[in-house]
Amino acid sequence: MTKHLHIDPQEMRQPGYIEFTKIPVNQYKRTIADEKAFFSKDDFLRIYRDMRFIREFESMLYTIKTTNAYNGIAYNNPGPAHLSMGQEASSVGQAYLLTSEDFIFGSHRSHGEILAKGLSAIDKLSEAELIAVMEGFLGGAAYKAVLEFHKGKNKSVKGLAIDFLIYGALAEIFAKDTGFHRGLGGSMHAFFLPFGIYPNNAIVGGSADISVGAALYKKINRKKGIVVCNIGDGSMACGPVWEGLMMATMDQYKTLWEGDMQGGLPLLVNIVNNQYAMGGQTRGETMGYDFAARIGAGVNAEQMHAERVDGYNPLAVIEAMGRKLEILKAKRGPVLMDTLTYRYGGHSPSDADSYRTPEEKNAWLAQDSILAYRAQLIAAGVASNDDFAAIDSSIVETVTNAVQMAADPIISPRMDLFKTPAAIEELMFSNRKIARMDERAPDVLMAKEANPRVLAIAKKERFTSDAAGKPVPKNKVYQFRDGVFEALIDKFYEDPTLIAYGEENRDWGGAFAVYRGLTEALPYHRLFNSPIAEGAIVGSAVGYAMCGGRVVVELMYCDFLGRAGDEVFNQLPKWQAMSAGILKMPVVVRVSVGSKYGAQHSQDWTSLCTQIPGLKVVFPVTPYDAKGLMTTALNGTDPVIFFESQRLYDVAEQFHAGGVPVGSYEIAIGEPDVKRAGKDITILTIGATLYRALEAATLLEERHGISAEVIDARSMVPFDFEKVIASVKKTGKILLASDACDRGSYLNDLARNINDLCFDYLDAAAVVLGSRNWITPAFELEEHFFPQADWFIDIIHERILPIPGYTPTRSFNDTEMLRRAKLGV
Amino acid sequence: MATPVIMPRQGQSVESCVIAQWVKKVGDKVAVGDELFTYETDKAIFDEAAKVEGELLAIFFAEGDDVPCLTNVCVIGKPGEDISAFNPAGAAATTAGSAVAAPAAQSASAQSPTQSAHAAADPAPVSVSDLVISPRARALAGKQNVDLRAVSPTGPKGRVIERDIVQLINDGRFATGAAGTDYRPGIAGTGIGGRVSVADQANQGSSPPPPAVASFYEEKHSTIRKLIAKAMVQSLASMAQLTYNASFDATDILQFRAKLKKARESGLADMIDLPENITINDIILYTVSRVVKNHKMCNAHYHDDRMVIFNNVNLGLAVDTPRGLMVPTIFNADQLSIGEISTQAKELSAACQKGTISPDQLKDGTITVTNLGALGIESFTPVINLPQTAILGVNCLRTDVRNVNGLAVPYPSMSLSLTCDHRAIDGAPAARFLRGLTNALESFSLLLLK
Repeated sequence: MTKHLHIDPQEMRQPGYIEFTKIPVNQYKRTIADEKAFFSKDDFLRIYRDMRFIREFESMLYTIKTTNAYNGIAYNNPGPAHLSMGQEASSVGQAYLLTSEDFIFGSHRSHGEILAKGLSAIDKLSEAELIAVMEGFLGGAAYKAVLEFHKGKNKSVKGLAIDFLIYGALAEIFAKDTGFHRGLGGSMHAFFLPFGIYPNNAIVGGSADISVGAALYKKINRKKGIVVCNIGDGSMACGPVWEGLMMATMDQYKTLWEGDMQGGLPLLVNIVNNQYAMGGQTRGETMGYDFAARIGAGVNAEQMHAERVDGYNPLAVIEAMGRKLEILKAKRGPVLMDTLTYRYGGHSPSDADSYRTPEEKNAWLAQDSILAYRAQLIAAGVASNDDFAAIDSSIVETVTNAVQMAADPIISPRMDLFKTPAAIEELMFSNRKIARMDERAPDVLMAKEANPRVLAIAKKERFTSDAAGKPVPKNKVYQFRDGVFEALIDKFYEDPTLIAYGEENRDWGGAFAVYRGLTEALPYHRLFNSPIAEGAIVGSAVGYAMCGGRVVVELMYCDFLGRAGDEVFNQLPKWQAMSAGILKMPVVVRVSVGSKYGAQHSQDWTSLCTQIPGLKVVFPVTPYDAKGLMTTALNGTDPVIFFESQRLYDVAEQFHAGGVPVGSYEIAIGEPDVKRAGKDITILTIGATLYRALEAATLLEERHGISAEVIDARSMVPFDFEKVIASVKKTGKILLASDACDRGSYLNDLARNINDLCFDYLDAAAVVLGSRNWITPAFELEEHFFPQADWFIDIIHERILPIPGYTPTRSFNDTEMLRRAKLGV
Repeated sequence: MATPVIMPRQGQSVESCVIAQWVKKVGDKVAVGDELFTYETDKAIFDEAAKVEGELLAIFFAEGDDVPCLTNVCVIGKPGEDISAFNPAGAAATTAGSAVAAPAAQSASAQSPTQSAHAAADPAPVSVSDLVISPRARALAGKQNVDLRAVSPTGPKGRVIERDIVQLINDGRFATGAAGTDYRPGIAGTGIGGRVSVADQANQGSSPPPPAVASFYEEKHSTIRKLIAKAMVQSLASMAQLTYNASFDATDILQFRAKLKKARESGLADMIDLPENITINDIILYTVSRVVKNHKMCNAHYHDDRMVIFNNVNLGLAVDTPRGLMVPTIFNADQLSIGEISTQAKELSAACQKGTISPDQLKDGTITVTNLGALGIESFTPVINLPQTAILGVNCLRTDVRNVNGLAVPYPSMSLSLTCDHRAIDGAPAARFLRGLTNALESFSLLLLK
């Protein structure tokens, strides 16, 4: 979708062939003698040490899981342990050249990657830097525990840093308050940002699209370093992984992004190919790629510079990493590595290995990377058995010390939720107001005042009617879409990190013309079209925000929320709390709720989002509320699902006296708004249903003398009940309505709370009016599906306040409720 | 086809009625208008007359059964008709031809199980305790002391909602919060329990203010209360009662009691075996037992066609108990000494208080004494125990003055209220009896000779 790229039929219709180049497989050929040119004895031994650390750490966890003890220290670890014995060379080889500025993302089996990256970072950082990191991390709690434990042992700073790393990771795995993330991440979500270790992910392939967002952050914000996405071969069929690959390799980085932004993403997708998913064997059984590296050939012309690397030889991996880093620095990325490895342990300690033979495992054990490497070094005269024995015993001592500390409930207590019951509660949202995530000047293409959309809006009336009360014609009035636009453009000119993307966002201006005018204002790297890949759209936003940026993404229809299910439900809401508040998540996901387009384009799925802890959910339906809530969402640091209704993009402001203010203003998320005052009955609506409720209120007043107070929820999570309670105390009656299907609707949750909170004031139980539990039918039949004004009166008559002489057209009586429930419709 | 007879609902507040008496029995021929049975509410007894003719085929409830209103009570029809479908219990009832009815009952209840269930569940929640009231309406009703008995529920499913309470307030069906005794002007309720009936609403404006109903609770009548009520109404309705009052100088009886007291203190009482204590009431009982023998028409039973005049005196003694008024009898009081009368009176009172009194001791009185003097009553109109002809009420002791040589001299005085049935006793003989009593009491020490 760009006029800059001409699609020439002449060219497109030419015959020819797609050419592929060879994908290298295990092409490393150097000997130790060759490598002596690149590595000192200390380097060689450090590679050994790091692999040995991982092996000991994982073996220790296996021993604890299976025997409840390690080296005489008793401990029961009920949590997960997906161990990586056998995969050490691939982790250490990867981390060897990386610095703290390079970010790695991992999987559920990433202890090895964390330790390797941490040990590599400790090696490269100065003592002063290490002390600053350790003292500054979460108030220095883990560091203090390590210092106390090793008091009087005269340890070096690097030695202490290694103790700190092993202990911090283990305490995290043991769910201790002194862990890297206070035990809230755990084994499958351990990470440590100061060493460039970004989150592991318990969802298979979960890191794939998140790491694309991290790479976007590096690129767009001109940050040093690359991003490594470690995913298993078992994730290669996952949709989000493919979506991530597609988004990582978009041509526009080369063809449309301009100046220093031109060029590929600094992303290394590393398939940690241990050849098994959980029990499924990828090569030969569950996949058809033969070599995972083949995938690169299907992604882009560069074949993602893919190659298969022998992950059983750390030096082969280091050599390959060196070449890949050069490609990434030259902005020719992203790259794909298929790092061959093997896990000796099962998927987890409870795995009985029913899917492989002992012969196979023994064959790999016979070529064990650590033993083979050690033998090679001895054979090449680099080091002696004594050198290795000294390293081994020191590692066992370090790991034993870490276990002793982590198992000790006094040194390593758990989060005390009796003493501080709000400890996790306080981490669910960061609730910060940060106007700009970085101080540099934002990249823009023109002065905001000169923007054609800004100029057009300046000529519009900002209220529905003029001073004389005469309605302003639609094309001259400030609309809902203008409210969203104004909040956004203001923020684009304030926060340099803010980017927006989604389907048809650039040029078209979004399917509903909210972004019209932004194309002129912003360079490609701040506003771009994504592939149709809802998972990657949201997942990459998670990665972008995790690294420190602010982002607005769009799902064109609410119905597509399912396509981004993992990203919206597992990633976006969880990382702030799982990181113990270290990560912020300033992401606004705009979701447009459709109508007129039938069963898969007209569903209100707002309730799904309210069920997920960690998301803020808003649904403004007036221009004033849209601008105010979008401004608040954009100033905040929490993920906000921002629902908009396709029925309302052209609606004018009818409520806020004086119209929509020109300047910036905030509306607190969670604050409902009384749109019409009344005294006999309260109607609380979510979304576009407000306008039908107002219609009903007019009918109630004019025909039946019933005065309805209509409250617009505006927000769903959080929700402040105060105004609603005050209204219900006054009226004693409440009807809640929205376009969501009535079963499982968030309205039921609100109603339940109102029944609890206002019981003594109620004249009837709170009544919920939703859409039917059907498919959304065609537009012409929608009046039978979505609540209409007369439905409000019918249900009030039948369930709350019988209206003398009134004959309802639709039944909402007990029998009908029970019948529908029994049939599930 | 057989026709069921239901227990009528006598007013909105009545949930159920008690079958008082079956006039007809199963198998009786019944004509339209024939009385079938009588039934009681807490306030009255009603007759139920047949509305169809035929044979009384079945009776579902016995005398004394508490039957929910609108429930089938009996069935009238042709002999041999299947009546089992009408049986609210769903089981075989007392039927004319039980050999036929039993299997029919089974099949009928299997065919229409809902009918009996419906009959039991149907009554609308009109008793206050059964009203379905929204929390809001309940709170408002409580705050305003609204008379919920008068409410007309208009909410969904018969729920009383706020507007129904507002309606009651507008109708004046509530008591002022402070006094709780008086309705504001509004419609007067003349229905059962003071409820505003449809008729009341039609007559709005011409009716007097409704009776005071404040915060209240209901108490079902005890059997004794029902008996008392029945006896009293019957007494007042069927007799020509009038009450005569006279006072006497109580100096003598007080001196008598003082002497007795002194004798007890000095130990003399024990030496000559005097009774423990003789109350003023004992003295009056003794006096009546002796004096009434000279006024035989006051120691008699009046019947429509005759008088029964007793030679002995069975003295009724009105006793106030937590369960209500009871009147045990001191048999042959005219044969008893004052000590014996005193002892019996004490024992009978205690038995009434405890509720252990035998029914045999509650009957066959010939004249009754009732004493409200201890409660400070100076004069009242005792109600005669049917079919006796007289009852003597005893009032409190007062200090009166009389003219003695131009000086106002105080003296202890006591008055008696004698109610006589004028059908049996004219005014003068009644007055003579009363005079006899006062004279005897003024010279009580001499009366002891009798």
